[in-house]
Amino acid sequence: MTMDDNKLTFEKITADLTHHIRINKGFVIWMGFLTVSLLACLFAYSLQLRTGLGVAGIRDYVTWGLYLSNFVFFVAASLIGMLVSAVLGLIGMKWITPITRIAETIAVAFAAVAGLVIVSDMGRPERLAYVFIYGRPQSPILWDVTVIVTYFVLSLMLLYLPLIADMAIIHNSKVAIPSWLRSIYKRFSLNFTDSPEQNRIINRSIRVLLILLVPAALSIHTVTSWLFAVTSRAGWDSSIFGPYFVSGAFVAGSAAVIIAMFFFRKNYKLENYLTDLHFNNMGKVLATVSLVYLYFNINEYLVPGYKLKRADAVHLQELLAGRDALLFWMVQIGGLVIPILFLLFRRFRKPVPVLVISIAVLIAAWFKRYLIVIPTQEHPFLPIQHVPQNFVHYSPTLIESMITIAPFILVLIIITLISKFFPVIPLHETAVEKGAEHIRFE
Amino acid sequence: MGFKKQVFLLLLLSVVTGTRVSAQTWVVPDDQKAVVAPMKFTPDMQKQGEQVYLKNCQSCHGLPGKDNWAKLTPPPGDLAKEKAQKQTDGEIFYRITTGKIPMPEFRNIIPEDDRWAVIAFLRSFNPKYVQPAPKALAAFTGRSVTLEMQYSDPMKKIVVTAHEKLKDNSNVPAAGIEVLLSVKRYFGSLQVGEMRTTNARGEATFEFPADLPGNNTGNVDLTARVNDPKSQMKTTPATGTFAIGVPTDRPGLTETRAWWSTRGNAPIWLLLTYTLSVIIVWGIIIYIVSSILKIKKLSTHG
Repeated sequence: MTMDDNKLTFEKITADLTHHIRINKGFVIWMGFLTVSLLACLFAYSLQLRTGLGVAGIRDYVTWGLYLSNFVFFVAASLIGMLVSAVLGLIGMKWITPITRIAETIAVAFAAVAGLVIVSDMGRPERLAYVFIYGRPQSPILWDVTVIVTYFVLSLMLLYLPLIADMAIIHNSKVAIPSWLRSIYKRFSLNFTDSPEQNRIINRSIRVLLILLVPAALSIHTVTSWLFAVTSRAGWDSSIFGPYFVSGAFVAGSAAVIIAMFFFRKNYKLENYLTDLHFNNMGKVLATVSLVYLYFNINEYLVPGYKLKRADAVHLQELLAGRDALLFWMVQIGGLVIPILFLLFRRFRKPVPVLVISIAVLIAAWFKRYLIVIPTQEHPFLPIQHVPQNFVHYSPTLIESMITIAPFILVLIIITLISKFFPVIPLHETAVEKGAEHIRFE
Repeated sequence: MGFKKQVFLLLLLSVVTGTRVSAQTWVVPDDQKAVVAPMKFTPDMQKQGEQVYLKNCQSCHGLPGKDNWAKLTPPPGDLAKEKAQKQTDGEIFYRITTGKIPMPEFRNIIPEDDRWAVIAFLRSFNPKYVQPAPKALAAFTGRSVTLEMQYSDPMKKIVVTAHEKLKDNSNVPAAGIEVLLSVKRYFGSLQVGEMRTTNARGEATFEFPADLPGNNTGNVDLTARVNDPKSQMKTTPATGTFAIGVPTDRPGLTETRAWWSTRGNAPIWLLLTYTLSVIIVWGIIIYIVSSILKIKKLSTHG
């Protein structure tokens, strides 16, 4: 099925893409559930604020626990905005149009929350500004804060710019949306009337932002990888950590987009816009980036395995055949090898199978970050003497787990709000691409 | 080997290992237990002891009476509690002085008076404590040796002279004293040459290597001390600065621009890369935002 097969009228497209913009019972229940869960997790965080990081399982050996692996995961997931909009968009892939906003929404939500995840790992969060006041320009921590803020702003602008035309269309149409939302639309659509100058500014801005987005996105995850790779610890001391992290990020992000696509298609009844073609193509994208990631994985584990520096030997032994072996092989085989094999076949790139594969990939992607961050610290170069057993092996506490879940709830809240109050699929672009006539702005 | 013999050996083995384990407990010699403080504990001393305690002891033992000691194995314990307080002053003094892994040895870290001050501080948490009558330490009976150091130009050697103070307060050259010479470096000190023993004139001679770097004028800081691991003597080391090193004008590790240096000494290329990237990217962002704001004015229906 190609886009030309179903030529839709402008009115039909507008109705299809905006009918979900209303406050219904399902939305209230879902938001209520998220809010209550978030409050419970915030209570856990208040305990940590009051008592200190000791309420978490992190100790002198493993000082970077769930919080830090969660941070890496969040930064990773946010990278998908760059892959879909910038890379695929700039090389002229037309089929991505209905997916771009989903990808940007995921990017904005994860990038916004990634910063908060780091704060949850701070014993004295009120000292966050010290990074800038006392930070050294030589330190990747300063670079990391800089690029995350930059990437978030770029993603937010890329989410907003295509929305200008959409909001102009909607607030002037007869579509029934809440009146407070209509006034927000009016204010933020900037009197857009589809004039050539206005279009020129928007199109040029989008193009410039997309070009900027590529180095910004590469930086954010490369710098995140350097937080680990600039140390000489076994498992982190690697010169390919940058591309290894970036390719892994694309895997997690593609899976997240596919899951979101499936959800929106079903709940917002977008079958005419998010077609099998899109799932098929995103399945191919997922397979491709997974293959690249597999390639880096092989490099990352095989090469040190031949040199077997003492600490590397212990680390690899624990991963491949020791304490962490079960998780390691489940992640590598269940989250990478098997998904790649299935995705090679067209029938597994249909919506339902590709959804199941994506869920497996996304869960594995989270545990993969756990395997990158934690086992290394359990084998320090200089073991401490006479330490209690709970210093040696890390096990997260309940409070810590709840504080780790909180960012996920926040991401869901952000994605829910954006997708509920704005068209999930770019309205103006879709109308133009589908050849709809009489696109009205006034 | 008969079965009975095996059982016997097994029993013997378990007894031996058992004794080894019990030997792990920290026993203070009886003569040390009986030691009492040479001075009366005063409130001033307790205050002084508190300062020493906060600096050296609190990180593991916590605040006395608060039960907030560090969770270590073996547990350091709260020193205001009965288990610690039932010891004699001499026992506590011995433990602070000698240490036992993982507790550090404070012999060379906290001066004797301060060690007693810490005990005075700890005793202030024990209302039942009555200080035994102070007893000044017995007069020191060992040898008292003072070192002097000179550089002999014609010989190109460092000559260390040891003098011994006799009971009648006369000074005589001390023979047979083992002397160690060391030179100060970035961290700690470096021993120069082998240990030497003083001759009949009380002299020990060290050859100073010709290639050791000094400061920018070639000065090196030397220290000569008596090798007295069991502290059987009262010794006074000798120090001196001599222009016998190779003049070296090398800035300190954090005094030049480098990756590892302080923030004020970041490499120029790195500062430029970071600053320019931020300025360029954010310049473009600000430009785009300003052009977006123009959209409103370009509306065809005003």
